[in-house]
Amino acid sequence: MPEDAPLLQITDLSIRFGAAATNLVDGVSLSLDRGETLCIVGESGCGKSLTALALMGLLPTPPARLMSGTAMFEGRDLLSLSLQELQNVRGDRMAMIFQEPMTSLNPALKVGEQIAEAVRRHKGVSRDAARNRALDMLQKVRIPAPEKRLDEYPHQMSGGMRQRAMIAMAMANDPALLIADEPTTALDVTVQAQVLDLMRQLQDESASAMIMITHDLGVVAEMADKVAVMYAGRIVEAGPVAAVFENPQHPYTIGLMSSMPSLGDRSGKLVTIPGIVPPADAMPEGCRFVSRCPFAQPGCALAPPMREFDRGHAVACWRAPLETGVDAPSPEIAGAA
Amino acid sequence: MGKPDLIIETRALRRRFVTHKPLVGAQTEVRAVDGIDLRIRRGETFAIVGESGCGKSTLARLLVRLIDPSEGSVIYDGTDISRISADKMRGLRRDLQFIFQDPFSSLNPRMTVGALVEEPMRAHRIGTRRERRARVAALLERVGLMPEHANRYPHEFSGGQRQRIGIARALASGPKVLIGDEPVSALDVSIQAQVVNILEDLKQEFGLTLIVIAHDLAVIRHMADRVAVMYLGEIVEEAPVAELFTAPRHPYTEALISSIPVPRVGARAGVATIDGEPPNPIAPPPGCRFHPRCPYAQAVCRAERPKLTRGPDARSVACHRHAELSLTGLAPDIAARSPEAEQRFSLYRAARATREGAKPSGSFPQPLTPDKE
Ligand SMILES: Nc1ncnc2c1ncn2[C@@H]1O[C@H](COP(=O)(O)OP(=O)(O)OP(=O)(O)O)[C@@H](O)[C@H]1O
Ligand SMILES: Nc1ncnc2c1ncn2[C@@H]1O[C@H](COP(=O)(O)OP(=O)(O)OP(=O)(O)O)[C@@H](O)[C@H]1O
Ligand code: SF4
Ligand SMILES: [Mg+2]
Ligand SMILES: [Mg+2]
Repeated sequence: MPEDAPLLQITDLSIRFGAAATNLVDGVSLSLDRGETLCIVGESGCGKSLTALALMGLLPTPPARLMSGTAMFEGRDLLSLSLQELQNVRGDRMAMIFQEPMTSLNPALKVGEQIAEAVRRHKGVSRDAARNRALDMLQKVRIPAPEKRLDEYPHQMSGGMRQRAMIAMAMANDPALLIADEPTTALDVTVQAQVLDLMRQLQDESASAMIMITHDLGVVAEMADKVAVMYAGRIVEAGPVAAVFENPQHPYTIGLMSSMPSLGDRSGKLVTIPGIVPPADAMPEGCRFVSRCPFAQPGCALAPPMREFDRGHAVACWRAPLETGVDAPSPEIAGAA
Repeated sequence: MGKPDLIIETRALRRRFVTHKPLVGAQTEVRAVDGIDLRIRRGETFAIVGESGCGKSTLARLLVRLIDPSEGSVIYDGTDISRISADKMRGLRRDLQFIFQDPFSSLNPRMTVGALVEEPMRAHRIGTRRERRARVAALLERVGLMPEHANRYPHEFSGGQRQRIGIARALASGPKVLIGDEPVSALDVSIQAQVVNILEDLKQEFGLTLIVIAHDLAVIRHMADRVAVMYLGEIVEEAPVAELFTAPRHPYTEALISSIPVPRVGARAGVATIDGEPPNPIAPPPGCRFHPRCPYAQAVCRAERPKLTRGPDARSVACHRHAELSLTGLAPDIAARSPEAEQRFSLYRAARATREGAKPSGSFPQPLTPDKE
C-alpha cells in the first residue's frame, strides 16, 4: 500500500432498499487521509447513517442492497469483507460511536468489563492489562472517579457520561478510523461542547481519522478539516471546511446556510429553501435539488457531475459558479439522456 | 418609560411533582418550577431557554394552566388564572393557545386536518359551520398548506407540514398569546426556517404575544425580544436578547453562550466551557444551584441562595457575584461572512425573490367573532 494513498477511499457507493427504483445513497465518493476529520452534513433522511453503516458492514442486507461501490481502507475493500474479517476490523482498526450510547453499550455488563472485553478480543492481552487499559480510557475521557465507574452499569450513568464511556470503548484500541454518527445531537449544549472538546483532544493524541456525521453546520465548523454536504442521497458539495463555508457553491449549501438563524443581530426574515425533500418514489431523475432550487433550469433534469473547481473543492451543480450565469445544458440533451 | 403593558405575570410560581412515594417514610419530589416571577409584555416574543429537565415545559404548561401550580399565581390580563373555575378557564383558553414540540403525537390521527383545525372554533362556538370551513381553508393556506388538505389525515404529512397544521389549529380560535414548547426543535434546518418565518409573520399580522421555549440558542437569538434563562427550576437571568448574548451577567448564561457551536470556521476555538452536567433536580445543591459547575463560585455561593434582582436597566440576574464579574458574550462580528459567501447569499435571495414573485402571498384571514359568549 503506497504511503500517500488515502486512509479511506470510498468510490461510487450506492444503496437502495428492496425493490425500490431509487438509490437512497447514490454514487457517493469520498476520501479521507490519516488523522483527518471529515464531516458529512445534511438533513434528516439524506443518507448519512446509511453511508456510515455500509462502511461498518452494519447495513441490514436484506432489505438494504448495495448497488455499487468500493471502500478501500488500509488495503482492503470494506464493502466486500467476510463477516469474520469485518469483526476483526471493527472495534480495532475502525470503530463507531452513535447518537444513542445504548446502541453500543451492553446494559447487562459493567462499563469497565465492556471496555476490557473489547481490548482483549483484539489485542489478546491479559485480564489485568485490559482492565488497566479500561481505567486508562475512562480517565482519558475525563469521567470523574474512574476507578468507581469501572464497576458501574451504563444505566447508573448520566447521558453525558454514557457518551463518554462509549467514546472510551471506541478509542480503546487506537483505531485508525472513527465513525461518529451524530455523537452529540442528544446532548445539552454545555455537555455537547465538553464532548466535542474531548473528541478533538483524543483525536489529536491518537492521530485517528474521523468521519463525523451531523446536521449542525456549527459542529462542522468546529470539528471538520473537510466537509461533504449531502442532499437526498448524493453529495452535492465537498471540500476543505474553510472553502465550503467561505466560498459556498451549491444552491443547497447556500440555502442551508441562509436558513440558519444567525447569532448576530437580526437581519430580517430567514431566507428559506422552499418546499420539502421529494419522497424516494418521486425523486427527480437529474439534479435531485431541482424541485426546490431557485436557480434551476430545464437542463437541470440531467444529473450534474461532481466537478472540482478549486483544490479539493468540488460541486455538483450545472450553474455553479452562480455569478457568472452559466447555463445548464440544453433540455434536448437532458431529454435524450 | 411608562409601565410596561403586561399580558402575563407570574408570582412566586411553584410546581412540584412526586417522583417516588414509599409505603413508609418521606416521598421524594422534584421542584420542577421553584419560585418564578415573570413579566411578559403584550406583543413581545419572550423566550425561555435552559437545559433538559430544568423545567421549561412545566413552566409553559403552568402559564396556560394546562397543569395547576402547587403555589403562586399566574395572572393573565389582570385575572389570576390559577384561581378561577374550570369553566371560566375554558373561556380563556380561546386566548391562550399552545403549540407542541412533537408534531407526530400532538395531533389526533383519526381526525382530518380540517376537523383538527376547526375543533377549537367549535369548542368556543365561533362562527357558523360555513364560516368555520372558510376559515379553516384560509388558515391552511396561510401556513403554507392547501385548502384541499383539509380532507386528509395527519399521517399523510411531513413533520414540517404537521407543525404547520398545529399552528393553524392554535390560531383558529383567534388567540392573543401563543406558547410554543420547542415548536421547531424536531424540524430540519430548512423546514425550521420556514416555520420560524410563518410564526413571525403571524405574530405581526395577528398582534400576538409569542412565548417560545427552545434549547436552540440561535433560534432564540433570531426570534426573541427578551429571554429568560432557566436552571434547575429557577430563572437565573432575564434580559433583552442582544444584551443577553453579547454581555451575559450570569455565569450559567455565559457557559451556555460559549457552548454554542458557531457556524464559522475558527469562531469558537479556545473558548473555555464548563464542566459537569446539571445535577439531580430531586436534590438540588444548596446555595446557588449552579455553584458546583460555576467557575466563579465562592463560599457565599455554596451557602446562600441568590435572589433574582432587577437592575436599573431592566435586566435581572440571580448571582451573588454579578456586580464584580465581567463575563464574556458573543463577539460583535460573530455572524460576519466572507465577501464570497455574502455575494452567494444575495444571489440566492435574489433568485428566490424572482421565483417567488410569480406567486402572490396570501394575507391573513380576519378572526371571526363568536356567536355569543
Ligand atoms: N430499513 C429501512 N428501510 C427502508 N428505508 C430506509 C431504511 N433505513 C433507512 N431508510 C431510508 O433511507 C434514507 C436515508 O436514511 P439515513 O438513516 O441514512 O438518513 P440520515 O441522513 O442518517 O438521517 P437522520 O439525520 O434523520 O439520521 C431515508 O429516506 C430513510 O427513510
Ligand atoms: N408529570 C411529571 N411527573 C414527575 N416529574 C415530572 C413531571 N413532569 C416533569 N417532571 C420533572 O420535572 C423536571 C422538569 O421537567 P420539564 O419537562 O419541565 O423540563 P424541560 O426543561 O422541559 O426539559 P426538556 O428540555 O427535556 O423538555 C424534570 O426533572 C422532570 O423529570
Ligand atoms: S443543477 Fe440546477 S437545480 Fe441543481 S442545484 Fe444547480 S441550478 Fe439548482
Ligand atoms: Mg442518521
Ligand atoms: Mg420540555
